[in-house]
Amino acid sequence: MRGQKVSMLLGCALLCSASLLYLGLSGIDCPPPDHAHRHTWADAHLGSTNQSQASPIYYGEDTPLIFIGGFPRSGTTLMRAMLDAHNAVRCGEETRVIPRLLAMRATWSRSARERVRLDEAGVTDQVLDSAMRAFLLEVIIGHGEPAARLCNKDPFALKSLSYLARIFPQAKFVLMLRDGRATVHSMISRKVTISGFDLTSYRDCLTKWSRAVEGMYSQCQGAPEGSCLPVRYEQLVLHPEVEMRKLLSFLGLPWDPAVLHHEDLIGKAGGVSLSKVERSTDQVVNPVNTDALSKWVGHIPSDVLREMDDIAPMLARLGYDPLANPPDYARPDPIIAPKNYTLADDDFLLLSFREQKPYIPVRWRRR
Amino acid sequence: MRVSARRVLTGLLILGGISTLTQFLRFCLPCRQPSQGAGEPVTVLVRDGWRVSSDVPLVFVGGVPRSGTTLMRAMLDAHPAVRCGEETRVVPRILGLKLGWAAEKEGVSTKVLDRAVTAFLLQIIAGHGEPAPLLCNKDPFTLKSAKYLAHLFPNSKFLLMLRDGRAAVYSMISRRVTIGGFDLSSYRDCLAKWSGATQAMLTQCTQVGSKRCLAVRYERLVLHPRSTLQTVLKFLGLPWHEGVLHHEEAIGKPGGVSLSKTERSTDQVMRPVNLDALTRWVGHMPPDVMADMDAIAPMLGRLGYDPRANPPNYGQSDPQFLNNTQRLLRGDFKTL
Repeated sequence: MRGQKVSMLLGCALLCSASLLYLGLSGIDCPPPDHAHRHTWADAHLGSTNQSQASPIYYGEDTPLIFIGGFPRSGTTLMRAMLDAHNAVRCGEETRVIPRLLAMRATWSRSARERVRLDEAGVTDQVLDSAMRAFLLEVIIGHGEPAARLCNKDPFALKSLSYLARIFPQAKFVLMLRDGRATVHSMISRKVTISGFDLTSYRDCLTKWSRAVEGMYSQCQGAPEGSCLPVRYEQLVLHPEVEMRKLLSFLGLPWDPAVLHHEDLIGKAGGVSLSKVERSTDQVVNPVNTDALSKWVGHIPSDVLREMDDIAPMLARLGYDPLANPPDYARPDPIIAPKNYTLADDDFLLLSFREQKPYIPVRWRRR
Repeated sequence: MRVSARRVLTGLLILGGISTLTQFLRFCLPCRQPSQGAGEPVTVLVRDGWRVSSDVPLVFVGGVPRSGTTLMRAMLDAHPAVRCGEETRVVPRILGLKLGWAAEKEGVSTKVLDRAVTAFLLQIIAGHGEPAPLLCNKDPFTLKSAKYLAHLFPNSKFLLMLRDGRAAVYSMISRRVTIGGFDLSSYRDCLAKWSGATQAMLTQCTQVGSKRCLAVRYERLVLHPRSTLQTVLKFLGLPWHEGVLHHEEAIGKPGGVSLSKTERSTDQVMRPVNLDALTRWVGHMPPDVMADMDAIAPMLGRLGYDPRANPPNYGQSDPQFLNNTQRLLRGDFKTL
């Protein structure tokens, strides 16, 4: 009996070591990640059925993509989270690679000499655009769950808004705008590094904010009719339903009340997927709120406050009174339409700010 | 043997123990990523119904610039089944961009990024020229990423052009061919960089394996074109075609060799294969560099180019091609 026990024990030991050896040598396949972010073009439409005979559907230049962007800290994450809550839309986290590739593409076309060299090599604009489209589509499609309307949010991608509109003629663009003072305060107080921005200087950041927003805003205005919608962060958080109805109508999507409660769909399938490394995640897990509207007041150095309009001319152009700390966001000034905006108008409008609206230091109160 | 309940229980317990152990090990042992090749190939629509997938046969020609890469691709272009075309210039750039991304934690998974890079590369490589059974790309520095490309394109092969570094460096300096990272005012710097780049590419080539990467000596190509090209075509799985020995006759022809006016080797590659550039470098190396040659460029010795011989014996030319060089020196082949 003892002999049998020993031999059984030996047998077990042998079995264990054999399986250990086998596993160690052959390796075990890694379990698939929680979110199955591996979607080829085929998966997106054929689902998990074994329709290998059916040819995959090819996304092409007519894909009605949605691009959300704007200056960072302008509510871009909130916007994409609310859209993600819509049952037909999927944006997902920032890809980070898209703006870099777009920037590289911009440098190639800027140099005339390089354009000649590329043309000589057969790498024409048409070839390059096809390549860019293929790359962008693979990233956007593979980045998350399939959806009827695919969307991308990388703030600075809209620095190439005109180019994206050209290569994706059916795309729609949502440009988030916000009072530059709030944006810059958010950047500086939360230490959100953006290359080229000196986080120790409100003056530097506001100057650069103005320039960057001007670039994106003018491209939005210049985009084909009805393809770009500027959305003001303040209006979005003050009147979410009004703004979202306007937005969904612009995007050609039916109303879905879920967009007003994106916080209920975080981490859920078909809902809002958040990134652990993105800087707005801790804010966007909360329902839409007005907490961040006027946090900037009192933090901007007085010399900068005095010269605000010269430092950041886009404030006035976008309808944010540069001398009001803060402006009354509840009564927004209209964005100055470009065709009305001339140098003379600038002075007139500044005057009219002072004449029509006496400066009232209104502190926003929480409801 | 009587099977008692106790024995059965013991047996079950043992099995349970083994399975628990297995599950436990599954988490402890490093798991391997599921084979990337098992995924669907990336397919792009190039133009007018011409679709290309990432499992298409492809050949990448590269090496340190001024090592005969253009000559090799021109000779291949003369083969009816191959189309390389000009340097795309953007292929190495996106590879460089991807390299920078791999280091950081990006918003997209590696698999998605790889697919996106594959799609981009396919569009460029296929789209910048005419269709052909074997598509080819020649951008010299792509061979620094041979391993990555081999992973993206499972049916790709690689041709690494090697040359005596002194000749390559003399060529870039005397012709003022700007190459990123090479200081054209210093033979010492260029030779050292040549050595580093050559070593990197050779390492990649070795890792890809001899079935998929073939190193070709420029000297051997110009001295013995027929036998060298026979080796190359056999490596690529292509039938022999006499036209590869007369690429200059296929320039500008449909299905032939397309040249770029702005590329630096165009004027040379318009002529038939010749020995003109073999030993032109002799007498141009600064004496202090010559004295330290082996220390500056260790790859010279490792590749079999004697660092102290000026020049080394590259070999004897094939008689029929010796004629080409003589005619060249007589001025028989006019260039534009």
